[in-house]
Amino acid sequence: MKDKKTIIILLSIIAVIVIGSVIGIFYVSRPSESNTVEIVSNGKVVKTLNLSTEKNNSFEVENNGKINVVEIKNGKIRVKSADCPDKVCVDSGWLKSSDLPIVCLPNKLIIRFTKNSDDIDSVSK
Amino acid sequence: MKKIFIYVSVLALMLCGCQTDNSDKKNSNETTESVSEISQTDEELAPQIYEGDGDDPSTLDIFAMDTYMNVKAYGENSYDALILSSDEIQKLEDIFSVTNKDSEISKINESAGNFCEVSEDTSSIIKTALDYCQKTDGALDISIYPVLREWGFTTGDYKVPDDETIKNLLKNTGYEKIETNENKIKIPENYEIDLGSVAKGYTSDKVSEILSENGVESALLNLGGNVQAVGSKPDGSDWKVAVVNPFDESENLCSIKINNKAVITSGNYERYFTDDNGNKYWHIIDPETGSPARNGIVSATVIGEKGVMCDALSTSLFVLGTEKAVDYWKKNGSDFEIILVSDDKEIYVSDGLTDSFENLSDMKVNIIER
Amino acid sequence: MSVKKISRFGLLTAIALILFIVELRIPNLVPIPGVKLGLANIVTIFALYRYKPSETGLILTARILLGSMFSGNMSSMIYSISGAVLCFIGMIFLCKIVPEKYMWISSILGAVLHNIGQTIAAIILMGTFSVIAYLPFLMISGCIAGLFTGLCATFLTSRLKIK
Repeated sequence: MKDKKTIIILLSIIAVIVIGSVIGIFYVSRPSESNTVEIVSNGKVVKTLNLSTEKNNSFEVENNGKINVVEIKNGKIRVKSADCPDKVCVDSGWLKSSDLPIVCLPNKLIIRFTKNSDDIDSVSK
Repeated sequence: MKKIFIYVSVLALMLCGCQTDNSDKKNSNETTESVSEISQTDEELAPQIYEGDGDDPSTLDIFAMDTYMNVKAYGENSYDALILSSDEIQKLEDIFSVTNKDSEISKINESAGNFCEVSEDTSSIIKTALDYCQKTDGALDISIYPVLREWGFTTGDYKVPDDETIKNLLKNTGYEKIETNENKIKIPENYEIDLGSVAKGYTSDKVSEILSENGVESALLNLGGNVQAVGSKPDGSDWKVAVVNPFDESENLCSIKINNKAVITSGNYERYFTDDNGNKYWHIIDPETGSPARNGIVSATVIGEKGVMCDALSTSLFVLGTEKAVDYWKKNGSDFEIILVSDDKEIYVSDGLTDSFENLSDMKVNIIER
Repeated sequence: MSVKKISRFGLLTAIALILFIVELRIPNLVPIPGVKLGLANIVTIFALYRYKPSETGLILTARILLGSMFSGNMSSMIYSISGAVLCFIGMIFLCKIVPEKYMWISSILGAVLHNIGQTIAAIILMGTFSVIAYLPFLMISGCIAGLFTGLCATFLTSRLKIK
């Protein structure tokens, strides 16, 4: 009898976790309204880009000799290739969701949307 | 049971062996792959044009005139208009390039001492440029090229020339001696001209024209930092254009709102080198001294309807220095606005911009009134 | 510790390692960092219900250390350890209140705790909170994986009558 009670309590905890997670997944997967992307390497923002004005190109982000090749194409950004063992960052594809960053845990790289820096359309320099 | 133990342990060992082996191979493969991909993207210089869809603009990315150019165009006909724009940019690059031996500018330079027949585009841009050379009293000089080359700004092979060399080279400069006759241009012997200070502005004018002619009512050009807007945003609001902070290129200095205008900046951060003593030398040469212009300005932005005017004036105002640049604007600034940044970290903004000007830096802003 | 126990723990560690390494060969099903089936946990759950927590801890530590060495991915070890520590502490408690028949429940909750531990490690190591966005994905996958490994372990205990 006591066991049954414990089981019911634990099952309800699991149910809450599942429901909460599903809501969480929908929440973090919303498409981003921002065009500004931050590249964080080893905890530091190494680059901030405005995808709507950035030209198509690729560049390397290096941390401790480990390299991720980041590609920008048609206003989208992704990790094109990486020397990490699992390649999850490459498999993640293009960055889409507002709160869900592209993460490369082994190389300590994060690519994420950030608040639009004042919706600037173009930069004169 | 014992047999199973042994079997399992052996299997475990084998699997472990396999794993490390493979992962090593995989890693080395990946590295070479990523390197080759990089070199490939470096060579991807062909224009890339993508068709827009719904609210998304068509885009053109092209490497020309030694810089990246990007054009965003909205509306139904935007894709076709961008194809024409891309052709136009390549055509203008071919005739304006001073490093391309077959360009019209090279032809003019080769036939120094004689009249040289050129296309409408070349004669028109040279005439416009000469006009600004004159208006700015030589702060702009398209014949300064031999000096610019001596400093190494054309090749990247930077050096500080000695005074004697500069003095000798300056003898063969001076826009006043360039003659034009309809579509014929004549420069004196030993002269060389280049259009680096106006070519991108002229190009953005031409591209804007092509876009408008082809029914594009809303487009934004960024030709290597030269911004020009066709019309306003698709929703009718103004474009918000930032000017980069000359002291930290990853930051914006300020933003302004414009439509149908060009926003062109000349700054000391665009192309420069530093000598052994830490002195910084940039690519904007003062035609009077033959050395990088050091008259108190680190960045000059000109906002006006014509790209070529803004391009020519941003260089000229940079050379003139804060005081003279402000004076120039007060006397002639009926059709353009300016944003200057002085080397003591102050911003000077002409009063026509104050409505939309937003300071994004912590520098002091001075409004200049007419 | 008797020789019998030593050999038995050695065997369990070996099995856990095999499962761990077999799992490395399975390609990523979803492009989410940290998502794993966690097959090696079958052994952990089984051990927790059969042996003392300290003994299970030994098997677990040996498996993580050797597994990280064999896979050549030392950086992932930190995530494994922090996940495992939280999961292990929770499971010690859970296996006391959850009967053996329902060990899949402890397995699920253990997996969720593992995911939380991993995420905390990621937040500290990556120096940013933005990785927390993956937690809901990890917890869902943790529930599924935990259920699977839990059922496997139930199956195992019902067949293995050794003590």
